Amino acid sequence: MFKKLSDKFSKGIIYLAAFLVTALMAVMLIHIVKESIPAFSQLGIKMVLPSTEWHPVSQKPQYGLLPAIAGTLYVSAIAVVLALIFGVACACFLDYYLPKKMASVFLAFIDLVAGIPSVIFGFIGLTVLVKTFATHLHMAAGQCILAAGIVLGIMLLPFVISTCHESLQTARKTYEFSAITLGFSREFTLLHFILPAIRPGIIAGAMMAFGRALGETMAVMMVIGNSPIYPKLLGRGQTLPALTALEMGSIEYGSLHLSVLYVANAVLLVILFIVLGISYLLKRRLATHEN
Amino acid sequence: MRTKLQKFFTRLILSILGLCVIAVTLFLFLYVFWKGKKVFSLSFLLDKPAGVPLGTAGGIYPALMGSIYLGALSALIGGILGIGAAIYLVFYSTGKRFSGLVNMAITGLSGIPSILFGLVGYTLLIYRFGLSRSLLCSSLCVAAMIIPFVAIRAKKILDEKGREYMKTSLSLGLSREYALRKMILPACFVELLGTVALGMAYGMGAVAPILYTGAVMQADVPHSLSDPFMSLPYHLYILVNNGFSLDYAYGTAFVLMLFLLIIQLICKFITYLRKDN
Repeated sequence: MFKKLSDKFSKGIIYLAAFLVTALMAVMLIHIVKESIPAFSQLGIKMVLPSTEWHPVSQKPQYGLLPAIAGTLYVSAIAVVLALIFGVACACFLDYYLPKKMASVFLAFIDLVAGIPSVIFGFIGLTVLVKTFATHLHMAAGQCILAAGIVLGIMLLPFVISTCHESLQTARKTYEFSAITLGFSREFTLLHFILPAIRPGIIAGAMMAFGRALGETMAVMMVIGNSPIYPKLLGRGQTLPALTALEMGSIEYGSLHLSVLYVANAVLLVILFIVLGISYLLKRRLATHEN
Repeated sequence: MRTKLQKFFTRLILSILGLCVIAVTLFLFLYVFWKGKKVFSLSFLLDKPAGVPLGTAGGIYPALMGSIYLGALSALIGGILGIGAAIYLVFYSTGKRFSGLVNMAITGLSGIPSILFGLVGYTLLIYRFGLSRSLLCSSLCVAAMIIPFVAIRAKKILDEKGREYMKTSLSLGLSREYALRKMILPACFVELLGTVALGMAYGMGAVAPILYTGAVMQADVPHSLSDPFMSLPYHLYILVNNGFSLDYAYGTAFVLMLFLLIIQLICKFITYLRKDN
């Protein structure tokens, strides 16, 4: 009797947990959509017109999201490109030119970087990168899109390196033995057989990294300068998550401004789901290719 | 000749870029540790923040404790829900609509940026449901953030280790729940605990979800769930953003990083030991 009761109890908890997780996702989505309806009905397409600027608190408030959207994409793109160049090269370097033991130590070390909270990245970026920019590039403050891109790129490195490392090892098992017996050098094998073979995997990983970069808040917010203008490489900018984090605390509930912030996040989510969806499809295609 | 040059340059470029990455990672750790060491002392850990503006003297004790409370509470909520959902997906899902939904919810949640948990928590919990800015409110937001983190990893662990147990137990006529309680959960306990601890470290480092839901500039160690609290990453953000005291910011960053790294190293070490056996 007791056993049956505790069986039912455990089963209940498990079903409840599954239900709550699903409900959480549903509540978040519904809430975001619901809160962004007022802005959609009142402003509509005006929010993404290139001529509308972001002046939420002036006499005639304007809510143009396009600069922040452009800033988000710009910063993330810089970060992903940097992380890809350095990450892929570093994975190859660790795999090819270092002794196995040493490589695994460095890999574990790089993995630890993934555990550093983003606020510390922002802090280091501010005290090192931004300061260097300000003193050496003769900029007014040093806070710029490039700084944010570099900080974000370093944050993405562990993910790129670990995905790249895994696919490198499987590809090497398949190709290297035959290539070396045919007399190709290791470098030739790497450039002409192995890198092309792992390209789809790396692209899928890069899309995942891009998704991560899009949503990053604190690190970017601390080094980007937070001006809602169209992004230039060495100028200040604004990203959608940073905009939300900066302004949500000072807005009253139910105002149009808050609703626009929800629209900003809805836009961010749509971009995110497109990016992550592409990476998911790529991965699935890859898996079916391999089998 | 051309191949030799190509070989040389490939080697050169890969080495330079690779060494750059290693140097940058080393720099990250050394920089914070070296700068933070100067401020770090026992009284820095155990004193309350003092000075005008606040945080320029004294210590970080309330922030440290606040972070620990926040981490423990959100790990408790997020861990139970995450592991529960993972168990459902691995052992109970029948391939019907609901399990697809649960799966989708977890994948979806894992893609949502952390600031959205803060935004939704702020408007929904505080304005709609009338919660005060408190430890409870922040913990719920952080818990929502670590649910997918825990669920995805727990699912993998249960998939790898639990299925065989479940098959054997079911063919012996035991109930699913009995097998879970007596065999599978004890067998996976350490790994699951490690996963929850990693999730806790992840949640404790996040600022975005607690930004307006409960973290404040000055508070005591929270006595109840409805108290506002201080948190290490938020304290660091405030010190840096307002330019109060860079030295104390280094110290706070040092403590935060050391704390989270120790949690992660313990988890990784344990899984490493278990894998060897």
